[in-house]
Amino acid sequence: MKKIFLLFSLIVFSTITVANDYYIYVCAESEDEVALIKFDGKKAVVEKTIPVGVWPLEIEGPHGITVSPDGEHWYLSMAHGMPYGHLYKYETGTDKFVERVELGMFPATMEISKATGLLYVVNFNLHGGHSNASTVSIVDPDEMVEVERVETGIMPHGSRILNNGLKHYSVAMMSGMLYEIDAMSMEVTRTLRTSPPAAPMKMSSKKGKHSSHSMHSMNNSKKMSNKDKKGIAAMGHMAAGHSMPHEKPTWVYPHPNDDLLYVVNNGTDNVVEVDVKKWKVNRTFKTDKGPYNCEVSKDGRYMVVTYKSAAKTGVWDLKKGKEVARFNNTRKVTHGVSISPDSRYAFVTVEGVGKEPGAVEIFDLKKLKLVAVAETGKQAGGIAFWKMTN
Amino acid sequence: MKKFITISFLSFTVLFAQPPSSQNKDLKFVFEPETISLNVGESKKMIVRLVDTKGKQVESQFMVRGQRRALAVEPRMSDSTGVSEITVQAYKSGKLSIRAYARGVKGGNVIGQLEIDVPNPPLDRIVFVEPDEKVYTGTIINYEAQVFDKANLLREDVDINFSTNNNKTAEFDRFGNLTVKKPGRFTITAKVEDINKTVKVQSKKNPVRSLSLSGPKNEIRTGDVIDLDAKALNSRGQAIKDVPISYSYAGTAIYSDVFINNKSSESVGLPASGTITNQGKFVAETPGIYTITAQSSGYSAIAKVKVVPRNVKKRIEVVGHGTVTDHHTSDLWVWPGVGKHKGKDFAVTGTHSADGEAYFWDISDPSKMKIIDTVKVDARTVNDVKISENGRVGIISREGASNRKNGLVILDVSDPYNVKITKMYDDDLTGGVHNVFIYQDHVYALSAGTRYDVINIADPANPFRISSYELDTPGHSIHDVWVENGIAYSSNWADGVHIVDVGGMPQSEQSRDKKNFNPFLALAGKGSPGNPIKIASKSDPNGHNHATFPFVSQSSDKFYMINGDEWAKSIPGSAERIYQGGFHFIDFTDINNPVETAIYQIPEVGSHNHWVEGDILYAGYYYGGIRVLDISGELLGDLYAQGREIAFFEGRDPNGKIPNETNVWGVIPYKGLIYFADHYNGLWAVKLVDNETMGTN
Repeated sequence: MKKIFLLFSLIVFSTITVANDYYIYVCAESEDEVALIKFDGKKAVVEKTIPVGVWPLEIEGPHGITVSPDGEHWYLSMAHGMPYGHLYKYETGTDKFVERVELGMFPATMEISKATGLLYVVNFNLHGGHSNASTVSIVDPDEMVEVERVETGIMPHGSRILNNGLKHYSVAMMSGMLYEIDAMSMEVTRTLRTSPPAAPMKMSSKKGKHSSHSMHSMNNSKKMSNKDKKGIAAMGHMAAGHSMPHEKPTWVYPHPNDDLLYVVNNGTDNVVEVDVKKWKVNRTFKTDKGPYNCEVSKDGRYMVVTYKSAAKTGVWDLKKGKEVARFNNTRKVTHGVSISPDSRYAFVTVEGVGKEPGAVEIFDLKKLKLVAVAETGKQAGGIAFWKMTN
Repeated sequence: MKKFITISFLSFTVLFAQPPSSQNKDLKFVFEPETISLNVGESKKMIVRLVDTKGKQVESQFMVRGQRRALAVEPRMSDSTGVSEITVQAYKSGKLSIRAYARGVKGGNVIGQLEIDVPNPPLDRIVFVEPDEKVYTGTIINYEAQVFDKANLLREDVDINFSTNNNKTAEFDRFGNLTVKKPGRFTITAKVEDINKTVKVQSKKNPVRSLSLSGPKNEIRTGDVIDLDAKALNSRGQAIKDVPISYSYAGTAIYSDVFINNKSSESVGLPASGTITNQGKFVAETPGIYTITAQSSGYSAIAKVKVVPRNVKKRIEVVGHGTVTDHHTSDLWVWPGVGKHKGKDFAVTGTHSADGEAYFWDISDPSKMKIIDTVKVDARTVNDVKISENGRVGIISREGASNRKNGLVILDVSDPYNVKITKMYDDDLTGGVHNVFIYQDHVYALSAGTRYDVINIADPANPFRISSYELDTPGHSIHDVWVENGIAYSSNWADGVHIVDVGGMPQSEQSRDKKNFNPFLALAGKGSPGNPIKIASKSDPNGHNHATFPFVSQSSDKFYMINGDEWAKSIPGSAERIYQGGFHFIDFTDINNPVETAIYQIPEVGSHNHWVEGDILYAGYYYGGIRVLDISGELLGDLYAQGREIAFFEGRDPNGKIPNETNVWGVIPYKGLIYFADHYNGLWAVKLVDNETMGTN
């Protein structure tokens, strides 16, 4: 009887374990649609496509996407704009449009703070000569009104928040900086140059000249004076006016323990680990070409990095500091990644080129292998995990 | 065992379930005081407290915020005691609010809100708009006034009450119309709240003893504008010029053009409709017999006008069609071949949301048009395609590049059978180029959706930007730019059309040549491609200005800007939207006083790109196909209703990307044919068939 019970328990447990269905929302930026992907552990299918935007023919560019902490709504940045982009709000499940609000130029990545309940979205401003500092828009997602706009650096991207909801992080691609915003006070509190500490802080200019900056970080854990605020804002302009950083950081992601941040330096092919308390770079992980996004599994074991230029995806063991797997993606331009809350699967978007469909590629982090691919509309980019069911 | 399974199931449910959205039922915010009123610029302190159902303060941190750009709150964050003294300052008037949030507390989120009334700034003054101070008895005059507040803002949320100090002499109705009853002196007063403004008015005995009314014609077509000449005459038959005259019309329409004894045949549902202006311009939409009445000083005069059908309809015949089956088609351009291809004709079409391709067509024999070359670039959309005046340089725009560095591509199209990429140019254009125009060795390219850059392409292999033109209005945006005779016309949504001198051609002031007369050219001469100088502008109150075409009327003394709309409205009960809008005719003959006089709008569908040749408008009308419109003569009122539409055609193709549907993107008249690009199925050449009129409108 005991054996039967044990056997039955195992069957039940394993059945429940493998019978999970995972649901992910994926943006197809050049198709103006969002796909809801269902993955049952073996096969991934497009459960539904949701047309988004207000123009019947113009491409409005759904770029960033997030699901609210309660799972009841998903939010979408429509990037292209006229000239300003919008944040859209939809109900999960019904995928019914609720409301939209105008933001800045090319709104991109976003996340909602568990502490403030507000949504923080970067205005990437992909346009033009990349000479002006842009902002992080802070939106009340209930009322869909923009509460505040905080200036950071040039081309801010990778909007992520600590698990405790108290600090927001983004990087400014053309300023080479990591920005910390206090989620409550809505002020920039600290900045950090994203170059690895060993590297000389050289900045190449358009004229080929180099200059270095003595200040690697600004710490504003206490109240910042107006002078300090101007100084931080000026750093964004400084980088644009005289030089372009090598690092071109595109992403930042906090470790589940909230003590570490992982910053992706797209321009120098590395990911740096930042100690949140010490506010300095701990480790540097040399990656393949053009790393773009990353995410750390909830169990803190793995970091998955998308290599945009190389069209590959890397899986890093954070404890060992080693890349334990590197996958060729099925098409070019690897973009975003989302890891399931059970730390089992990494869902990676790959844009493709031209008319080629985009794709979501699903990697088993336990077996370290590709397990499924689902094709989406053109230019699959923003990705957000919705739910697991069984 | 059952219990075990149940427990297992529940445990997984708990593990995987999303946290529910919850509002806390046990906690709430209280604001002290419970009501607050602020004036603009004023600040007040108040207390915000998080309490339980018994009113006991709960220890928790929370956030308070004011309405953005209207109410400032300091500090935003409370400490953990559950109470915060805040200072609220008002920057704007209105029914505003502050909101308090506590997230992550046991029992769910707590949200509180306090309405704060910030009254408008006090009113400051009333200003009459060109009031008549001398009036005649027996007339009705409309008075207007504007109200400004202490912040010097024009206030349109207040009702002005007009009155006189002597209602026996003159009296207002509630619309600001003054009826003058007797001669005398009186005061009119405009009043709002406790401020008022007065004007002294003198009424004189009305010398008018009769009214005459004549028109230039007693028979016109629908759409023809006539100027009626009404004169108020005194007892000696002399005209009194400063007496207001009003116009109206009535009539009986007919369904056909059958007039019996110069009377309309009976009609049941068809209205005799048209437009008549305060200046006595009249245009009819439906055939019939119209009676136009002029009134003044208790006298009236009438004139009868017979309106016959315009009868301009023609048939459209397909000459040729090249199907594009696998991609959506975007814009087109048509041009004559040069060099070894002299005598031939070519076209280029872009592709939309596709694979970055542009197709080159030999259309020398339009009935056998064929794709002769394809250029493929790193893009998903090639939205715009243009060819230089000399037929040697082509520009295609890029959107959706895989490296997100969009821009434009300069092509050598001297040999359209073998088109070569000369240069990929993306300097400052990485966000995507939606539209371009080529004019005299320069490309005018939209950049960042906010401006156009002027790029020198005298050496196509070495382009360089020489200037930009950008508006300075808040949130400005741009969609299109068109250059003609050294004047750039840009379309800027709500900011409307901007007319900019980029090297306007010198023009003899005595020249009134119909083909070339453009009042803007008289002002040009100071600007250049490197130094664009604004000449004029006209905003679009609807915010839909998408494309603009200058139009020198060949049959009247008018100069118009034809401003095309683009906008989409939602379909009730559906998530889909459908294009709407039409073409607005702005009379720019007096460039200091541009005024919209006419509109061409199809009720069910929306407008896209357009072109003018002679006195004919060729319009791409999305799902409404191509539309050809007679725009001869003066233009007033609803041109569609006036029967000015010469023809329309829907190019359906069973083999199209979208089979058997039409969706016209752009249209170009060329060598007697009409070429158009259909988003759903490719390139078409059609012609108007002259000798088969279609009868009535």
